[in-house]
Amino acid sequence: MEKKKGIGNWFRRLLFPGKELKEVADQQLTEKDVIEITSPGKQVAQKFFRNKLAIGALVVVFLMFCFVIFAPKFMKNYSDSYTEITQKNVPPTLTMMSVPAKMQEEGIKSIDGYGSFTLGLSNAGNVYIWGATQINTSGIDIGDIPQEVLDANILYAAAGIDHCIAIDDQGKIYGWGNNRLGQYGYSPEAEDDPSIVVMPQELHDNGIPNVNDIKKLTCGWQCTAILMNDGTLYIWGNMHTYANLENFVEKQGLVDIDFTLNYIVGLDKKGQTIFSGLRKMYEDVREDTLVGPTTKIKDFVKAHGKKIVGIEATSNSVVLMMADNTLGYVGDLPLEAVGMPKLSEGEYFLPNTISAGTYHIVGITNKGNVYSWGGNHFGQATVPKKVASIKVDESYKVFSGAFQNYLVDGNGKLVDKWGLNGYIFGTDTYGADEFQRIANGGLMTMTIGAVAVIIEIIIGIIIGCIAGYCGGWVDILLMRIAEVVGNIPLLPFALALSALLAQVNMSATMRIFILMCIIGVLGWTGIAYMLRAQILLARESEYVLAAKSMGVRETRIAIKHILPNVLSVILVQITLGFASCMLTESSMSYLGFGVQYPQPTWGNMLNAATNSTVIKNYWWQWVFTSLFLSITTICINIVGDALRDALDPKSSSKE
Amino acid sequence: MGKYILKRLLYVFVVLILLTFILYNVYSLVPQNRAYTDAKTEVNAMKNMLKPSEIDAKFDELYLKYQRMYGTDTDNKIVRYLRWVGVWPFYDGHCNGLLQGNFGYSWEERAEVVTIIGDPMKNTLFLNLFVTVIALGITIPLGIRCAVKRGSVLDKTVQVVTIVGYSLPIFIFCIFFIFIFCSVLHWLPPSGMKTPGSNYTGWKWFWDRVYYMILPIITLTFSSLAYMTRLTRTAMLDALSMDCIRTARAKGVRERTVIYSHAWRNALIPIITVVIGWFLGLFSGSMITESMFALNGMGTLFLKSMRTADYDVIMLIECFYVFIGLIGNLITDLVYGLVDPRVRVNK
Repeated sequence: MEKKKGIGNWFRRLLFPGKELKEVADQQLTEKDVIEITSPGKQVAQKFFRNKLAIGALVVVFLMFCFVIFAPKFMKNYSDSYTEITQKNVPPTLTMMSVPAKMQEEGIKSIDGYGSFTLGLSNAGNVYIWGATQINTSGIDIGDIPQEVLDANILYAAAGIDHCIAIDDQGKIYGWGNNRLGQYGYSPEAEDDPSIVVMPQELHDNGIPNVNDIKKLTCGWQCTAILMNDGTLYIWGNMHTYANLENFVEKQGLVDIDFTLNYIVGLDKKGQTIFSGLRKMYEDVREDTLVGPTTKIKDFVKAHGKKIVGIEATSNSVVLMMADNTLGYVGDLPLEAVGMPKLSEGEYFLPNTISAGTYHIVGITNKGNVYSWGGNHFGQATVPKKVASIKVDESYKVFSGAFQNYLVDGNGKLVDKWGLNGYIFGTDTYGADEFQRIANGGLMTMTIGAVAVIIEIIIGIIIGCIAGYCGGWVDILLMRIAEVVGNIPLLPFALALSALLAQVNMSATMRIFILMCIIGVLGWTGIAYMLRAQILLARESEYVLAAKSMGVRETRIAIKHILPNVLSVILVQITLGFASCMLTESSMSYLGFGVQYPQPTWGNMLNAATNSTVIKNYWWQWVFTSLFLSITTICINIVGDALRDALDPKSSSKE
Repeated sequence: MGKYILKRLLYVFVVLILLTFILYNVYSLVPQNRAYTDAKTEVNAMKNMLKPSEIDAKFDELYLKYQRMYGTDTDNKIVRYLRWVGVWPFYDGHCNGLLQGNFGYSWEERAEVVTIIGDPMKNTLFLNLFVTVIALGITIPLGIRCAVKRGSVLDKTVQVVTIVGYSLPIFIFCIFFIFIFCSVLHWLPPSGMKTPGSNYTGWKWFWDRVYYMILPIITLTFSSLAYMTRLTRTAMLDALSMDCIRTARAKGVRERTVIYSHAWRNALIPIITVVIGWFLGLFSGSMITESMFALNGMGTLFLKSMRTADYDVIMLIECFYVFIGLIGNLITDLVYGLVDPRVRVNK
């Protein structure tokens, strides 16, 4: 056989070392004697890819990596410390904007929402509820509308955080949902409770005297108000949720009333200022929602038609509708809010179309444009193109739920809806989206696992190689050190170190970095042992001896003969170590000594599930996180295991 | 053998000293000065009786007194450590350390650490021993079975299930079991050690205790099955591929004898090593389980002390873990020596 020369051939031999041998074999042997000769690397790969479970696991791990790396990039609105009190413990649902078809048929009269569910009233006098209707741990499903409400012809309906109130054509008031704090109806027990402002008994017994006199029915956080045209106000509910509830109990002569998150705001006939019964509240007005300079409410009223004609309250701000059709804002809107739209000359919002959700405001202008602005965390202030393109006439109405908007035409048909449609994995105890936290927490968990395992591997390689290569007293000393470190109980010691470092004042990033170091520094011994053993084994093996006796240089032996053997061990250790580092981090964070709250990791997200109440009632707060964590570690371990099997020459001979 | 034991003992002793020294120094990094706090409190209490000019002098006097009392009147880390152990005299000429039975003082509980650590230690030991017995009782027969029937459906299932088992952190098991047995089935209590307000004695007390311990024991056992099963299986597989087994089979020895007498004995060596290590790992592993089920164990105490920064307690428990670990290593080595004659000869 002629000898090929040149760099191309050299490369060919480097990449396909078996080929040359095969050529020789082909020449010398008859066809039936031929045995395919494959390089060890190829063999390992073949063996690994024959294992279907391992391939599946590898794909899952890869997908998981992609998920945690790329998914957070699409979550522009995500922030670690995001909390939303009205969206606490919402179960997984995507039905928050699913207006029932039957209601659309009957024609939509009004839509109202305050918390996680939305209440709709049809032109036929029926009420419908959609969204997350389970009320916390009380076991009450607000979607179970009482039969008497279904039977009655309802004229007004409003939704609070955990209760609904409806009034029928006879003036009878119905309430359902949570009634623990006197949210609806009159009851003798509520009368004795000092923290409850009770519904007047005659209202409960006889209903509203004249239904047509009702100006407004509105509900807030466990609180309800009915305002009559003559200025009579009926108000009841939980006194602790609204600091100024008492000021409204005997109040007469209001023309408008609404609930923010913490206060009740009213407007009296004079319309010069917002009535809240509290001093120094709501005095500074802005013309723009966000950045405009503030003016005193007195001056603002003077400048804009000398009168406030109506108010609408979001969670922490109040919209003032002025007599000259301009709008003013008191209070704060969230920082990432969308500013008020620029209106063309002569365009103004029709006062009776303006509706406020938890953070956003929506309204229709006299020129037929629909705008929504304010808080845009769930896209509730981004009007869809379809809506922006159509001209709406005066018969159109727009309603806002808590984070949703519904545009309804003159016949009561739903034209479009936009905003929050729900949470695929529910929300946590702070009201943050579990799905977003899982994606971001996964990134953190995996980063910590990866960095920790890299630290482990580096220390392990250095110590293992030195010990295995030098031998003698260096070996003994290093192995004794490894034994001492290996004897330190990992979890308790890591916890204690982490707790100690918590007393030192440092940034969250620094703490996380130190956490990685702690996990890495305490976990290298296994790798060091294994590497040392492999190196010793390889050094003593016949092929190394043969290479030595042939006069191959020491470095060449190390690279060509020892390194491939050792590499496989390192590879397996990286895989298995990665999973175990992730588990250590999760355990530490779960116990509260790893990564701390606003920063999510899979471990500290599960920290919420330390008591049986949460485990039982809010299953979504632990099921999904556990699943992600479990699937990731299981798959990584399966891959590591398969890799080890594939690399182990003994395992094939046994089969 | 005697020389070998002595050698190992000496080694354990040295490592113990080394580790406790490291631990002691890590904990002395805590920015707390007990002498200073005590002196300050006492001076504040006496403030009314002292002239303003005397306060500083009195404080210095008291501070020195307390520093001498607590043995912190020197910055020498080694001296402090030796005082803590009890082989270096304090200022008053007496030793008062671990060797004299002074295990420290819990500032949270206002009691000697020894008195508060007794009960939790008993509970933890009980829990772990129980779990070990059950887990070994299940895993060893299962592992042997899987190894003998290699490649069977049982073996393959067990392989997959055990990967799942050892990939999951223990708290997920806890959450899952609490959900199943307490929230869904209502069979077992989710936490605690006894029926609240009960004051049972005798058998009634025992059954009540068992009732509350079932779930923690199940959880711990379940989470430790995977690792041990895999280990037994691997060890058994290695043993079964030995030449002596082939010889025994060729000779016509009954399969039962081959497996349980010839192969099992050989497989025992690696198993023993790991069982002991694993048993010790349980102690720190049961920490999460204990805190999850609100058991009065060492793990719960450890976590509680860490939350309240009660460092004498943490230090002692940590030392206990280290001590247990070293003793475990020693036992492993000794048993190894007993089971495998080669080890004895070599050393």
